[in-house]
Amino acid sequence: MKKRTRHWLVPALVLSLLFSACTPASQENPEPGNELSKGEIVVAVVSEPDSLDVHKTSSIGEATEHLYATLFERSENGEIVPGLVKDYQVADGGKEITFNLKENAVFHSGKPINAEAVKKSFERFLEKSPFKTNAGSISNIEVLGEYSFKVTWSEPYAPFFSNATSAYLAPLDVSTLDEQGEGFDKNASAGGQLQLTEVKRGDSVVYKPFEKADWGAKGTPGFSKVTFRFIPDDETRILEFKKGSVNVLLDVPFQYIEELEKEPGVELERVSDYVMNYLGWNNKLPIFQDVRVRHAIALAVDREPIIQTALRGAAKPVFGPLPDVVNGHNPAIEEKARKKYAQDKEKAKQLLAEAGWKETNGEGIVMKDGKPFSVEMWVQNEPVMQRVAQILQHQLREVGIDVRITVKESAAIIEQTPKGGHQMILWSYGWFDADILYFLLFGKGKSTRLHYEVDELDAMLQKGRIEMDPDARYKIYEEAQDFLVEQSPWVPLFVRESVTATRGLKNFKKHPISNRIIWDDVEVVE
Amino acid sequence: MPSYLLKRLLTMGITLIGVSLLVFMMLHLIPGDPVRYILGDFATPESIAELESRLGLDKPLPMQYLHYMAGVIQGDLGTSYVTGYAVMEEIANRFPITAQLAVYSILFGSVFGILIGIIAAMKQNTILDQLVMVISLIGISAPSFWIALFLILLFAYHLGFFPISGYKGFYSLILPSITLGLGTAGNIARMTRSSMLEVIKQDYIRTAQAKGANLYRLIFQHSLQNAMIPVTTLIGLQFGALMAGAVVTETVFALPGMGSLIVSAIATRDIPTVQGLILFMAFLFIVVNLLVDLIYTKLDPRIRYE
Repeated sequence: MKKRTRHWLVPALVLSLLFSACTPASQENPEPGNELSKGEIVVAVVSEPDSLDVHKTSSIGEATEHLYATLFERSENGEIVPGLVKDYQVADGGKEITFNLKENAVFHSGKPINAEAVKKSFERFLEKSPFKTNAGSISNIEVLGEYSFKVTWSEPYAPFFSNATSAYLAPLDVSTLDEQGEGFDKNASAGGQLQLTEVKRGDSVVYKPFEKADWGAKGTPGFSKVTFRFIPDDETRILEFKKGSVNVLLDVPFQYIEELEKEPGVELERVSDYVMNYLGWNNKLPIFQDVRVRHAIALAVDREPIIQTALRGAAKPVFGPLPDVVNGHNPAIEEKARKKYAQDKEKAKQLLAEAGWKETNGEGIVMKDGKPFSVEMWVQNEPVMQRVAQILQHQLREVGIDVRITVKESAAIIEQTPKGGHQMILWSYGWFDADILYFLLFGKGKSTRLHYEVDELDAMLQKGRIEMDPDARYKIYEEAQDFLVEQSPWVPLFVRESVTATRGLKNFKKHPISNRIIWDDVEVVE
Repeated sequence: MPSYLLKRLLTMGITLIGVSLLVFMMLHLIPGDPVRYILGDFATPESIAELESRLGLDKPLPMQYLHYMAGVIQGDLGTSYVTGYAVMEEIANRFPITAQLAVYSILFGSVFGILIGIIAAMKQNTILDQLVMVISLIGISAPSFWIALFLILLFAYHLGFFPISGYKGFYSLILPSITLGLGTAGNIARMTRSSMLEVIKQDYIRTAQAKGANLYRLIFQHSLQNAMIPVTTLIGLQFGALMAGAVVTETVFALPGMGSLIVSAIATRDIPTVQGLILFMAFLFIVVNLLVDLIYTKLDPRIRYE
């Protein structure tokens, strides 16, 4: 028997030992306890970034962005303040801007972040980045001195400053890349507070604090290591946090907020998100071209039950086009929209009737020319948004609109909506600048989800892009938003509250606008 | 035997070409455009066209397929559209974890399944037999994410015997292996039980019994080896189920293996990564089943391949 057992047991064990030898296990936590090493912060995040190289991705998250120091930063009250750029001069109506860099900043490699380095990084950005259209039409970059460079645009581009607060436009150290300009993930060097030490694909990204970066009041970092662990499953992430092997839990799922609030030693940080969730539709379809119908849909929606039921209160209702943390948000517009579109089912029914949609068959669905008002709503395969869709379905049914919900993968929605294959859609958008109204929502040729392209609006949004005076620009967007509130080509719904749970940390804070972790004064409590 | 092996290798090649063609077609037929995913909200018609051209997606599908297969023949599975990593490099990084998981699961499933299968057969129609059948039914029918969470809660969270998630060496693969192996154990237990019941009714067993062979000898020497042929077939087929199960198990346990990679690659429509992984998994499945066929000759010397 022993001999026969060996026939299959021995090769199996040899194989597994061989594979095990090929796999690098964690050196520091080989035991089952999962204890953190001294001074270590472990952050649990849902998904792994596509790439740490910001020139090669269209999505940046917490696990990536702290690697970079940005040209400009946003203060806690939303103002754009100097980052790597000390000051700048605008010339030729905004077509030329001369930037002067701070003189003490260095990359992780130790090389200075000077004009030449920034120019090289910009050139690579313009060659490779999916985000490059959001730097404007740059025609030339000229180095004027060790720390001074001039950027020329073919036409002024006002959102540049706002966009330059993101890591997309942050400089990276091109000199550490290979001959093909690749290999950033293997030899990453930028200027952020966190310096990359290890990438474990599919598992984690490990950083150490960059001593030469700007730190908070104490001037030195209060931790020795930051590990971003990728844990896609909600329950697993929560259990890791509760057990203490993770001390920062980003984006706490709503159903666990109450439970974690009661957990001793746990602190919750709540920041309003900048991503707007909305109910949209294909405005090119005849059914949505009557403004009375669009108003009726907006009036049928009550955001409170959506927020309280589907999101357990962890969201804020929004009525106007831009959430309050976005540059260009206008409180007067928000107030106007709030008054105009407070739920009023009777008025909604009346508007539908005026538009020819009447309930004639006794089934509660309005009809016109013998056809019922029945539309399909696409929603991505995220449980929370599916619950939101069900509530909206019920609310719209109450005014006589029949909605059929179809759950789709987001990749399918992203592909099919530009072709106009949808009727209604539950989707979201988010950027820090009002220019999003142009480049993502209503610009000519850009309205890929809502298909609402109107000359008057497009002209306003185009003007907003080239107006370099902040006050005049604000006024332009006020007009544009007012137009949108009147026309209602979609229904803004809510912004989520991003909840972060922490344990064993002092002075942990998130930026109220960008929702980034502020590492300056964070300290590990041993 | 050599001609049999040659024939099998030939059919392996044809099967792999079939798999590659099927996967290629499916990935291009399902909705979802990798270029739009990569460019995200910043996509413009110009940037879409530029990226399509860079990735070769502007070429006719047959050309794309031939280009891909030309690379595969040279050992190049392409480069991920999303991460920029070579697919071979990604597989090389992640395969050891999935392979360990598969081997441990098969080991657990086989040893545990055969053992309880024997017990059930020897104690047919007793409470013990019923209990084994209930356990095996739970193993087969309970969803793996549920088993995973149950094991995590009990053995990792409350008792602290194992890490909850992540790869930290052998320890961290015990719970995922049990999760993945339970279904296999259930199937193997049922198969072992029925095979054993069939074998122990044979005349030669009765003869051995009459000659005074002890129970141990009766089970392991006379019955089990003959009962193992269908069980071995099942183990080979279970390998495919393990690969599919690894997708869920690796996600729940946050293991950086091929299963979790394929989930993210499908979501992002990363065609080269999905194609490469499925092709590689199909290759493994075929090789494992070839090995199973060869093991038959060891289990039953009457079996010959010509």
